[in-house]
Amino acid sequence: MKTLKITLATAVILLAGGLANRMTAQQLTGREIIEKVYNLPTGEDQTSDLTMTLINKSGSERVRKIKQFTRDFGNVEKSIMFFTAPADVKNTSFMNWSYDSDKPDDQWIYLPALKKVKRISSDSKSDYFMGSDFTYDDLGDRKVDDDTHKLLREETIDGVDYYVVESIPKDEDYMYSKTVTWIRKDNFIGLKKEFYDEDGELLKILKIKKFEEISGFLVITHSEMENVQKNHRTKMELDNIKINTGISASKFTERMMMRGI
Amino acid sequence: MEKLLNKLLDYKWWTMLVILLISAYFVFEMRQNTRMETNLDKYMPQDHPAFIYSDKAESWFNIKDGIIIAIENKKGIFNTQTLDTLKQLTKRFQKFPEIDKDDVTSLYTADNIIGTEDGMDVKRFFKRVPKSPEKLAELKKNVENNEMVFGRLVSTDETVTVIIAEIDDDVFSQEFYKKILKTAQASETDDIRIYVAGRPIVEGTMALLGPEDMKRMVPIVLLVIFIVLFITLRSFKGTLITLGVVFFSTIWAFGLMAAVNIPIYAVSTMIPVMLIAIGVADGIHLYSHLHTFIDHNPTASKKEAIQDMLQHMWKPVVMTSITTAVGFISLLTSQVYPVKYFGIFTAFGVMVAMAFSLVFLPAGIMIFGLPKARPIDPDEDKGGHSHSRIANNFAAAVIKYKYVSVIGTAVIIVLSVIGMQKIWINSSFLDKFEKDSDIVQTDNFINEHFGGTSTINLILDAEGKKDTFKNPDVLKLVDKMQKDVDSTLYVVGNTFSLADYINRMNKVMNADKEEFNTIPDSKNMIAQYLLLYEMSGDPENLNKVVDYDYEKLNVTFQLKSDNSKAINSALDVIHKYEDDFKKYGITMNYAGSGYKGLVFTDLILEGQIMSLILSLIIIIVLLSIMFRNIGIGLIGSVPIIITALISFGIMGFLGIPLNTTTALLSSIAIGIGIDYAVHFLEQYRHNASNTNDKLVAAQKTMAHSGKAIIYNAIVVIAGFLVLLFSVFPPNRELGALVSLNMFTSFVGTLTIMLVLLYMSNIYFKKKKKKITK
Repeated sequence: MKTLKITLATAVILLAGGLANRMTAQQLTGREIIEKVYNLPTGEDQTSDLTMTLINKSGSERVRKIKQFTRDFGNVEKSIMFFTAPADVKNTSFMNWSYDSDKPDDQWIYLPALKKVKRISSDSKSDYFMGSDFTYDDLGDRKVDDDTHKLLREETIDGVDYYVVESIPKDEDYMYSKTVTWIRKDNFIGLKKEFYDEDGELLKILKIKKFEEISGFLVITHSEMENVQKNHRTKMELDNIKINTGISASKFTERMMMRGI
Repeated sequence: MEKLLNKLLDYKWWTMLVILLISAYFVFEMRQNTRMETNLDKYMPQDHPAFIYSDKAESWFNIKDGIIIAIENKKGIFNTQTLDTLKQLTKRFQKFPEIDKDDVTSLYTADNIIGTEDGMDVKRFFKRVPKSPEKLAELKKNVENNEMVFGRLVSTDETVTVIIAEIDDDVFSQEFYKKILKTAQASETDDIRIYVAGRPIVEGTMALLGPEDMKRMVPIVLLVIFIVLFITLRSFKGTLITLGVVFFSTIWAFGLMAAVNIPIYAVSTMIPVMLIAIGVADGIHLYSHLHTFIDHNPTASKKEAIQDMLQHMWKPVVMTSITTAVGFISLLTSQVYPVKYFGIFTAFGVMVAMAFSLVFLPAGIMIFGLPKARPIDPDEDKGGHSHSRIANNFAAAVIKYKYVSVIGTAVIIVLSVIGMQKIWINSSFLDKFEKDSDIVQTDNFINEHFGGTSTINLILDAEGKKDTFKNPDVLKLVDKMQKDVDSTLYVVGNTFSLADYINRMNKVMNADKEEFNTIPDSKNMIAQYLLLYEMSGDPENLNKVVDYDYEKLNVTFQLKSDNSKAINSALDVIHKYEDDFKKYGITMNYAGSGYKGLVFTDLILEGQIMSLILSLIIIIVLLSIMFRNIGIGLIGSVPIIITALISFGIMGFLGIPLNTTTALLSSIAIGIGIDYAVHFLEQYRHNASNTNDKLVAAQKTMAHSGKAIIYNAIVVIAGFLVLLFSVFPPNRELGALVSLNMFTSFVGTLTIMLVLLYMSNIYFKKKKKKITK
């Protein structure tokens, strides 16, 4: 489930409800820490306004505003997003169904100028999401056992305690050679993550700037991914987040894409 | 001056020692600091508006020069073996530390965006190399249907496919090139041939090949000069000493360059060329005088002979050197730093050569002894007033048939001016290679199969007006211009811009119907296609054609030739659209190395012409002051003007284009031409003061200076003709043109200048008056 995850903001790294186990009786292993991150509860559905700002090396910005809805149907997670700005792409909509099985995602796009919904099939999971510095993969669930995890060390920064966990993909051809995540000990939110490219050089840094508790769930509302090799940044900011409002299943249809918000 | 020089004769060993010590220091500096500058961007004036804009645009759109690796299989490329080679090579080049992974493009890395009945399909053409005939056929079909790939990454006859690896300007080195060649050749089989081309390779090889060839040729040139010099000077010692002057002055010039940390540029290789041509002149004239003196005075002592030589010759040696140096210093007006450096250090070398001629050479003679005398029989009839029968006859003939010279000169001037009209400027690098060299052949091969190996980037700039390039009318105009340029000019093989993406997206979103291969009419549609492309394709691709705010557009034209005629022909067609774009507030600018090369060549020429005129004026003024006579200044400049005119005229007739090397040669025309003229004039004045008869003065001057000039010309011409056997065509042109310039200078000096001197009655006017009274 790709796009939905922007709302929930980068699941791998994220979320531990306030209810997370703050007491660690014994030393956790790297895998156990990541598992805790992975298993943090999320809502069944979510509505939010996403502002995505792309900033290139010369400081120029592209700002996109998107209204998005997501809902988890168990074996499939569906999301739909409507562009609200810039004006020339207003009402362009995008729908994604992401399956728990190995089945590739189903995607549709609606271009109001064309007045047609079109299916998009794409075979590449490492593609960057909407020209941002997040790949679909960065935004999606990466399964705990796709990587080998190792607790590198524990650190205290500005009075906050972190686990520093290194994750090395088992698939040698994966786009990253490793990632290193700083995970808060108190709530298991990954606050910072470094991505290393195939040659082992630092490629990207993800920073969580802000997280909030909404309806009992911890939600990352402001994150920033920087590609240090390209000098390109993407800011993702969430507003008006509503969780578990009971979005109807009929929201996620081609008809709704065409009708708009 | 003279006293000082004479005094130095007593300290001959000290003089030698000091010169050798300083030379040793410079050699040390050269070993420490000398480096070749092969990055041609470093040659360009960084503060020139065209370069500033181009550099900016290069960073906006990540414009870089690409190395092209072409994989050819005459049986067609759509088979497992060839595709596997393509994949493996692509991956190998991506792993090169010098190459950014994302800068490698091939069919293996490219996305195929295709339209289907109900939507759009974004896929790599292949990830796993297809093995079954069906899969191969499908890939073939996909490629043929995608015109963003077909004809660009795969040739339309399907026998060649390319990998393009873009590199930064400072990456190229001979080792890197060898590594690429080795990697490429390792993948060759009986069926698969691999070629490597592209501007970085041409530029890099040229920057290395020229100086390398020079290094090989200069010793041979020196050897030939040595032999000819030995024959003319009749003295082994004299030859060694004269060449010593050239040798040490070259070391000093390059040593100083190293000491002040200035790298060797391609034009710097011209410095020894200049110093050889100019340095031997002083030696020959000094020896010529020495010979004349001891032939007349066989009993004179070593010191007497040298003192006489210095007494008579120090003035012309100093005068010629100063005028020559001034000619080179005028190159400081050039905007191009390597040319400025060339001017300064050659001028320095010339002054050093002067000092050596007056200090090192006499010291050398003091140490090694005088050449043998050939006593003259004073009673023998020489048919004139000097000791040389040939000189007497020649001078008499020139004066007798003076109108032959005058008319001949006039005819030559007219012809030269006609020839000059045909001169063209060429900034091409490829044209500097042999037609049958690997580099040219590979380039031709790729040009036959693809759009072209050279690119110009047209930057359309709406100057801050955002979203201009989402406007359908603007994009339609861009599309029209591209198609116009593409179809009018054979030399333009391909064009590429944002319009191509929009055309393609429009077609794809309309079920791949060809009639939708156009720019849609709605701005929103364009914006939505762009968004869709960003979401489904690689957004980096868009960053190469348009900026973030859609107010700057990069249109790429691929050319099958990098010569200036080709580039200018494309620019001419593009320029017709300038007014149309202006209506939308869009200005046209250019970027990329091809364009910079063009501007650069223009700059060099402009500077060269400026400095040519400037140095001519300075030389006329200097001569007028030295000889205290404006008439002499004007007459003395005649050989130079003729030399320059003939040089350009012949280039025009033979179709030799003006480029950085050939343009600089006009400096040599001045440097050498003035030497001949000054020696001749000074001698003529000296002889005129002792006689009332113009013919006597002419004959004596001819026997003395004339002989030296001929010797000088023969020596240098013989030396430079050696360059005709060079493997590097620009060096051949250099050899031919230097020889030509030497020849015209000497002929001009001994004929038309003598005639003009004779006819002007300078130095004889007062005397005549006295006689008539």
